[in-house]
Amino acid sequence: MSQSAATKLPAPSSEMFVFALLGTVWLVVAGLVGLDTGANGVMLFGLGTALGAVFLVFHYGFASGWRAFLEAGQTMPLAAHFLLAALCAIIFIPAASIGLSASGALAPISVSLFIGAFAFGIGMQLANGCGSGVLFTFGGGSGRMLVVLPFFVIGSVLGSLVLPSVLAWGQLAPVQIGGSFSPLVRTLLNVGLLAGVSLLFWLYGQRHDQTSPRRLIIASVAIAALCWAVFIASGHPWGVTFGFTLWGAKLASAMGFDIASYTFWQWPGPARALAHSVLADTSSLMDIGILIGAGLWAAFTGVLHRQRWPNWRQLVGGAIGGVLMGVGARLAFGCNIGAFLAGTASGSLHGWLWFALALGGSWVGIRLRPHFGF
Amino acid sequence: MTHRFLPKTLFIVTMTLFFGLVLVDHLTSPTLQSTGAPSDLGNACAPCGAPCT
Repeated sequence: MSQSAATKLPAPSSEMFVFALLGTVWLVVAGLVGLDTGANGVMLFGLGTALGAVFLVFHYGFASGWRAFLEAGQTMPLAAHFLLAALCAIIFIPAASIGLSASGALAPISVSLFIGAFAFGIGMQLANGCGSGVLFTFGGGSGRMLVVLPFFVIGSVLGSLVLPSVLAWGQLAPVQIGGSFSPLVRTLLNVGLLAGVSLLFWLYGQRHDQTSPRRLIIASVAIAALCWAVFIASGHPWGVTFGFTLWGAKLASAMGFDIASYTFWQWPGPARALAHSVLADTSSLMDIGILIGAGLWAAFTGVLHRQRWPNWRQLVGGAIGGVLMGVGARLAFGCNIGAFLAGTASGSLHGWLWFALALGGSWVGIRLRPHFGF
Repeated sequence: MTHRFLPKTLFIVTMTLFFGLVLVDHLTSPTLQSTGAPSDLGNACAPCGAPCT
């Protein structure tokens, strides 16, 4: 076999080693989770694993889809994203009235939301991935994301430290779209709104001879089904970035930084998360599942072996993008999953504002990309 | 960029280190009977647990 042929073939032994390593880690983590939080915890860990694999299988990305829209007027990816939100809204909004012990993701309309979502939009274009994208491509062994994720974590810790001060700059209480109507009407209104936007993007694409890849639709349905399961099992919509914040805060604490003295970490929810195991927080637990799920799929299919480093300017852009996304996610109450998807699917106005602001930030980020070697 | 030090190598090292830290944290921290989210407690007004004002 020639040397060039050998370099093109996957190295089965090292792929198998990674697969076995991640499989063993999965079993150990599942066992520990099962001992403490029972079948429910194992189910959430498993759902995270499934989400990681599904995202990688379908290459379901928000950052690239939004870039295709802003650069080339491609609307089909956005049609798929709003279809996903519409499907989620079917159970997120009427949860209580259909007997589920769960509630949607509402958040204030604040100055921090505007700043954070805009910064996040810039960051997701510089980093070439959003909250979920960074996580599953990191799990898939992406060289770029090996740099982006640590900076995302650092940014999200910084964001947690400044959020209370930025919230004081001004905020209104959460606004539910159709909040004065019955759950049924509110559900119909919001599902109709989301499906309508999806349809408009799809019709625009059709009129401009764009094709709608079947994989986007299948992926949206599969991810929506997993989001339903997460919602029912955890009582909350799926969220990604709080897990990053928690990992960073725990590392900072371990290094002697008195993170617990900051206002954010004295609020009851974050304080509880900081004081307990990383496997006891839903977001953190599912993030770990996503990393393993994507890693298992990447090792199984040989994706790991094909990963290469981007040029150093792109890595610098990725680091800056990671920090911007981290800070932005905390200020804006989440990323494309926890704020845009969960927010719009919960009928919360903040989700729609997050979308508009992050799209504006993406426009700026796209114009900055050439300075970072894209 | 062509480089002998492939992302896969760093990936394996990073994942091993990360999961080592996860296990250490889990084994040295108090656990809960069920998984939780920050918005479960207090007067939370946002998914991160930020209180209503």
